Amino acid sequence: MSLARTKPLLLPLAALLAFELWIRLAHLQSDSLAPPSAVLAALVAALADLTIPIATRDTLLAAFAGLAIGSIIGLGLGIAFGVSSMLDRLMEVTVEAIRPIPSIALLPIALIALGFGYRMEIVIVTFACVWPMLILSRTAVRGIEPRLMEVSRALRLTPVQRTIKIIIPAALPRIFVAFRLSAGIALIVAVTVEIAINPLGLGAGIMLAQQALRPDLMLAYLVWIGAIGYGLNLALIVVQHRLFGRAATAGAGS
Amino acid sequence: MSATAMIWRMASFAVAAGFVGLWQLIANLKLVSPVFLPGPDRAWTALVRGFASGDLASKLVGTLEHMAYGWLAASIAGIALGALIGSSRLMRTYIAPSLEFLRPLPVSAIIPVAIALFGLTEGMALFVIAFGAIWPIMLATIHGFAAVEPRLYEVARALQMSRPAVVFKIALPSALPDILAGMRLSLTVALILSVVCEVLAGLDGLGHWVLLSARAFRSADLFAGVILLGAMGYVTSVAMSLAERRLLAWQSMR
Amino acid sequence: MILLARLDDAKAARQQKPLISFNGATLRLGGKTIIENLDLTVRPGEFLCIVGASGCGKTTALRLAAGLYRPTGGAVTFDGQAMLEPRREVAIVFQDYGKALLPWRTAAGNISLALEASRIPARERPGRIAELLRKVGLPAHAEKYPAEMSGGMQQRLQIARCLAQEPTTLLMDEPFGALDAMTRQGLQDEVLSLTAATNTTVIFVTHDLDEAIYLGDRVVGLLPHPGRIGIELDVNLSRPRDQLATREHPEFLRLRRQLFDFIKATEH
Repeated sequence: MSLARTKPLLLPLAALLAFELWIRLAHLQSDSLAPPSAVLAALVAALADLTIPIATRDTLLAAFAGLAIGSIIGLGLGIAFGVSSMLDRLMEVTVEAIRPIPSIALLPIALIALGFGYRMEIVIVTFACVWPMLILSRTAVRGIEPRLMEVSRALRLTPVQRTIKIIIPAALPRIFVAFRLSAGIALIVAVTVEIAINPLGLGAGIMLAQQALRPDLMLAYLVWIGAIGYGLNLALIVVQHRLFGRAATAGAGS
Repeated sequence: MSATAMIWRMASFAVAAGFVGLWQLIANLKLVSPVFLPGPDRAWTALVRGFASGDLASKLVGTLEHMAYGWLAASIAGIALGALIGSSRLMRTYIAPSLEFLRPLPVSAIIPVAIALFGLTEGMALFVIAFGAIWPIMLATIHGFAAVEPRLYEVARALQMSRPAVVFKIALPSALPDILAGMRLSLTVALILSVVCEVLAGLDGLGHWVLLSARAFRSADLFAGVILLGAMGYVTSVAMSLAERRLLAWQSMR
Repeated sequence: MILLARLDDAKAARQQKPLISFNGATLRLGGKTIIENLDLTVRPGEFLCIVGASGCGKTTALRLAAGLYRPTGGAVTFDGQAMLEPRREVAIVFQDYGKALLPWRTAAGNISLALEASRIPARERPGRIAELLRKVGLPAHAEKYPAEMSGGMQQRLQIARCLAQEPTTLLMDEPFGALDAMTRQGLQDEVLSLTAATNTTVIFVTHDLDEAIYLGDRVVGLLPHPGRIGIELDVNLSRPRDQLATREHPEFLRLRRQLFDFIKATEH
């Protein structure tokens, strides 16, 4: 059993070791590569002097703020479109015209309107998070057992009561899957905006390390960003299992 | 298309036109400073002027090229590697977990590393776009190959089919729905990374165009570029849908 | 005299070299013995049916004959040679036709797969495909995808693909188990006439005792845990068989009773 668990670790460990040996033995002095041991040292140092923790806070702040706003907007529209097929059909062209705009293309617009800083980053993350939330929650609402909707009509629930008591709980497992997807997107977009232009957070940190010709620090940032992405995804999967059990996760098809 | 569907379509276009009208009204009344928000009339004029002078067309081609080359390279490499890993149990045990670990990595974080390795060049952009776009394709291909109905492999054995024949006649067509879904996802990734690389490296393309327009506060040109990027996202995604529908005609029979 | 001659024929057939033989064949999978010390021979042109309670290893025996499994003890031979890998002259019809057909190929395309595997030149294929589709009663469905066909049609298609291999031996694993009674009877008669016309050897696995007697020259009943032979009956019913007359024949009913008692006894 323990052998089966270690098998997947062999390849990355071997790759790291080979990389380390290659750089050490070739006495490579590079502006773009550093041995894993130096990367680890840089990571520990940057964690200790709080540069990475502060950058992480900035990035996550922007990502989560955008995620929250985008999710609420997307969820609201998704439920509305899911309940009212008339609204859905009327908005179809508008939605299909705006949705394909790559979120990052809004960057210059946000830049001239809001300048550098959290606000422009949050706006772009919000835009990116609205769509998966809208599309998936619309599908989730459409997939609610029709009998439940009939029950809510028979009970003469008001639209607000119906939304809170029937629709959201019934669609919640699939809405959460959409939220998990959006969270991943939020982090990616936040880091991308920082790398492209915004001087804050992890993205700016890694660009700065590259420009300062510190490959060890740059790769330390890369490893850290990867760990954040992995940790976020893992945490949300755990929450999903806790809340909805295995069935919901399996149904999400990921 | 049925008559009712036609009417809904037209109503939906009317709603979209209404939004454009609203946008025009906001711009005309100068509710938002024209520095940030040009009206649709000015954006359209900028679009036409840009194409008439040939500037915008060459930028469009530039972005299309970045996107297409990166995406094609990612598709070929992703399908080949995915097929190799997915069809071997040994490879799946040792390699697939490492790949799953890398899946949630915000791929744009590789940009600084690519800049350190290749400088601000076209080669850097190609590397970044291909690197970002390969994951969805490769992971989908691995999944598709691993999920081939075992009975079909027995049919292949009973017919004594050669190994290449098994790959091309059984495994690849069986995995095709997964592969195409991965390629569709990668298309979006490729467009976003093309824009980011153009912004960062000043490469000829729409990303560079919108950034320059923003810096010079030429908001009409900026919007023209964003509209064009949206159109690109839309057209490529429609083309992908058509290809999927054609290649997977057998699936819709179910 | 005529009667004597017939008996002689039967005797000669008995002494004929077997086409397929299990010699003490044993199969262990994951520490479990699925089949133990199985001795069984099949003559060329014979229609052999294997019955048994579920889990008695009848499907496994068929897969050994197909070369999809290798015996862990003893041997399975085909025409005197050990059956270690599938051979093109031995075709296998799977029960789950829905999984055994390529969903992305039309009926014609699925048959073509077997022709491609046999390296039949492309220009000869359309004619062969049309003929095979006609043989199994699907001449008008060449361009349909499996998903557009009923269960019975899909199973006909799988049989057509197997016939495209031009097999001398057909191995059938509960091929009609999932079909309704009417479709099943029609397919039984078609399989009988198709195999009789080409003198094809058949091993037919089923859990339906009536089906086994109706189709077979001989019926073998397996005992479970581990699978071995429990009963062996010759079916002396005239051919061609008839869905009504054969099933009402006293000999049919006697065999049916005997098999029924056997199965009943194994289920405890």
